[in-house]
Amino acid sequence: MKKQDPEKSNSMLDDEDEVTVKQLIDGLEKLEQINPVSAPNLQWFQQHVELEKKRIRKKQWKDLLAFISFAVFMLSVVIAVVYRQPILFLYFQLVGIILLPLALNNTRKKVSNE
Amino acid sequence: MDEKELIRKAKKGDTLALSKLLQQNYSFLVKYLMKVTLHPQIAEDLTQETMMKCIEKIQLYNGESKFSSWLITIATNLFIDQQRRKKREKNWLKQEQALRKMKWNTANRNEEWTDVIDVLARINEEIRMPIVLKHYYGYSYKEIGKMMGIAEGTVKSRVSNGLKSVRKELGEIEEAGS
Repeated sequence: MKKQDPEKSNSMLDDEDEVTVKQLIDGLEKLEQINPVSAPNLQWFQQHVELEKKRIRKKQWKDLLAFISFAVFMLSVVIAVVYRQPILFLYFQLVGIILLPLALNNTRKKVSNE
Repeated sequence: MDEKELIRKAKKGDTLALSKLLQQNYSFLVKYLMKVTLHPQIAEDLTQETMMKCIEKIQLYNGESKFSSWLITIATNLFIDQQRRKKREKNWLKQEQALRKMKWNTANRNEEWTDVIDVLARINEEIRMPIVLKHYYGYSYKEIGKMMGIAEGTVKSRVSNGLKSVRKELGEIEEAGS
């Protein structure tokens, strides 16, 4: 299953390189002969694919659960902060409201400068 | 059923189609990894890891390159990661053992061992890989760059310098033998 004829890709090589490449190809082909490879039967592949799919599904559920747990935790922290000290929440909002026009103004200035 | 049809079905979740696809490409992948690792056992292990990765990421295959090239990309990156994780000295020792075993097998089969494999084994795998991909599989510098996640120019210089050092070492072996 070679992609293309390696000889074609070697058309830009000088003579010395061509000899080296020829030796390389011969050596690598010999390596294939020394270690013959045969693919296992289809059942073996099916078993592995099914097992791997199961493992992936399990991992996805675990990740989803971890994400939901973290989100719930963060939400509960925010709620706790807001309900016990609502003034903090309001301060953050106020700072945000003050900074927002400044940030928008800066962007506008950059655009007008161009 | 042709490869495109198998890929389409495999992406939809068909286990049989994915299994057939993997079976068709198994030997090609082991042979490629054998050439870059020069270690049959590591090649087999990496092939299985590549297969697992392929099962997980089959949805991401966009058909831009051949399916076998996509598998080579995964295998190449797994091998690079593995080499970075492991200690270089231990790798060298393992490779020496594997080479000795292969030489033994070759002698048992009454065949002659080629020095070029010894020379390739001495070269750093980050240089060996582009040489094999360029001159054995015929991939372009651009494709190899994409596969290995490096610039085309880097691939060119690695192949060119690598080839020079292979030639030099082969010359030295020939001189010593004569």
